[in-house]
Amino acid sequence: MSTGKIAIVGAGPSGCFLAQSLLKAAPELEVDLIDRLPVPYGLVRYGVAADHQGTKAVARQFARVFDRQGAEFHGNVTLGADVTLEALQGAYDAVVLAAGLSNDRPLDVPGAALPGVWGAGLITRALYDHPDAGTLPDLGPRPLIVGNGNVAIDLLRLLAKQPEELEGSDLGPVATDWLTQSGIEEITITGRSPAAQAKFDTVMIKELAKLSGVTIHVEGAGSSEDAAEAKKIEAVLALNGHATGPRRVTFRFGLAPLAVEGDDHVTGMRFKTDAGEETLPCTSVLTAIGFCADGQLPRDALLARAQDIEAGVLAPGLYATGWFRRGPRGTIPENRADAQALASRILADLTPDPAKPGRAVLADLDARVDYAGWTRIDAHETATAPEGRVRAKIARREEMLRRAREEES
Amino acid sequence: MKITILYGTETGNAEMLAEDIQSELENDHEVDCLNLSDMGAGDFDPSRFYLLVCSTYGDGELPASAQPFAEAVAAEKPDLSAIKFAIFGLGDSEYEETFNFGPKTLAELMQAQGATQIGERIAHDASGPDMAEDLAFPWAEAVISEAAEAMGEDA
Ligand SMILES: Cc1cc2nc3c(=O)[nH]c(=O)nc-3n(C[C@H](O)[C@H](O)[C@H](O)COP(=O)(O)OP(=O)(O)OC[C@H]3O[C@@H](n4cnc5c(N)ncnc54)[C@H](O)[C@@H]3O)c2cc1C
Ligand SMILES: Cc1cc2nc3c(=O)[nH]c(=O)nc-3n(C[C@H](O)[C@H](O)[C@H](O)COP(=O)(O)O)c2cc1C
Repeated sequence: MSTGKIAIVGAGPSGCFLAQSLLKAAPELEVDLIDRLPVPYGLVRYGVAADHQGTKAVARQFARVFDRQGAEFHGNVTLGADVTLEALQGAYDAVVLAAGLSNDRPLDVPGAALPGVWGAGLITRALYDHPDAGTLPDLGPRPLIVGNGNVAIDLLRLLAKQPEELEGSDLGPVATDWLTQSGIEEITITGRSPAAQAKFDTVMIKELAKLSGVTIHVEGAGSSEDAAEAKKIEAVLALNGHATGPRRVTFRFGLAPLAVEGDDHVTGMRFKTDAGEETLPCTSVLTAIGFCADGQLPRDALLARAQDIEAGVLAPGLYATGWFRRGPRGTIPENRADAQALASRILADLTPDPAKPGRAVLADLDARVDYAGWTRIDAHETATAPEGRVRAKIARREEMLRRAREEES
Repeated sequence: MKITILYGTETGNAEMLAEDIQSELENDHEVDCLNLSDMGAGDFDPSRFYLLVCSTYGDGELPASAQPFAEAVAAEKPDLSAIKFAIFGLGDSEYEETFNFGPKTLAELMQAQGATQIGERIAHDASGPDMAEDLAFPWAEAVISEAAEAMGEDA
């Protein structure tokens, strides 16, 4: 007997952790995870770096949510295009928006629209074979990264790596060739704040000390009395002089973007510094300064009218969690804590209406991919992994759909 | 044997493993499974054997769910001299310098209060080829028979 029907939009970590918590507390619930992609796990698959497979192992837990806990996956279904929010609200006792934030927050300075300025989300999606990604752009010999968060460091590390350092990753052949043939001579990474307040985690910095083909310079790391800040500065400074190869990596701090320079393409980036202004020449600008909503869902309006945004309650029976609720901050564990708290709240609020049709509202969507379909994609991807890779991701949506439908022989 | 599995986790991998170990042992033993966040420093029972399953976070630190427990043990200094435990770690060798430091910290903390560790600290590597349960089930079986002997019980 069902004790309620819940639709979760977005099968990323937030949605999966939420389903896990809900079904742990109330195993009879009907929980449906709806995702616009034919494949689940959101940024675990398309954001977490290809060379951080250990972090991706959290997907094993998520697989259990479908395998053992009885949640259903409804992939290739876009809320706002294939089904409306109103339709879901009419069909389910509770609807949860866990759709993340997928667009790059734009750099708000003159010249930001020049060719040669690329968002980190755009680049990482293309690197990781996201089906909606474009082709990887030419960065030229001297890309400059704007931003000092973990995403910026991921980008830096991948751009700095030698081909053999990508062993054991799931980076595809196109991305691998692109990195191998990038011709990058120098990567500059700039942060608006001093090193002491940089958002990156110290471990992300320490990992750079393993790079085998770079010479690292750290300029103006500053100092701090605060123990945690001092530890961060110490980690950055420890990289200074790390010399294992010719590709130069330069860390700069306290540089506030003023303008992207160039006529028909990026030629440099002008910053405000403590001392005045400074222009750094570069051949491309990679912005890693956060993410925002993609406009498919009326996030701003929903959040503005939210009943209790801290608790994730947008309106009676309508909830939000993860990056969609909190903004583009926080790692996978934070989404778990968020989802666990929301699960308790939903269960407390839930008043099941047996007349609600639940997943029948999705029945006419013929192109839906179910969990069995994803396992066929997954099996194909792992079985066809080339030497030195753990997976060969299918990059094209049509091929995903074809594999998903293929009956096992 | 009466067994309590205690897990310290941040993204839930240790919790999943703890539950798997519980299912694996349940037929032959009386097994509880508890998050370290729900365990008080004074809650130990000498008639039970404790299996600790714990990950590592940050720069070699304990995961969030183990931190309040560790602080409580350090502050309250309970006498654990009658307590026997074994410990299994979840880590990632990508974090070379601090691989499995969390469980190491936890084991040292228990030992500092007089608890006896049974068996070696075993570590799962998230970047390695093994499934955690493939290492943990044989480990659990081995430490349980060793503990049974030490506690004068049938395994
Ligand atoms: C490049 C990058 C690297 C990162 N690396 C790490 C890391 O190493 N470790 C770590 O802990 N954290 C990392 N993070 C952070 C982590 O990815 C996030 O905390 C987490 O993914 C947020 O989870 P979420 O479920 O809220 O969003 P997401 O993971 O973005 O999931 C949202 C899901 O919703 C779906 N969706 C969106 N719109 C719709 C719609 N209209 N209809 C249906 N479905 C929709 C999407 O397809 C997606 O599957 C990284 C983030 C980025 C961007
Ligand atoms: C931010 C971060 C830091 C980590 N630091 C370490 C570390 O220092 N040493 C280690 O062995 N593992 C480290 N790990 C790996 C985790 O311990 C490993 O992924 C484990 O499976 C997580 O288990 P949990 O889900 O139970 O917390 C880290 C993981 C993350 C995401």
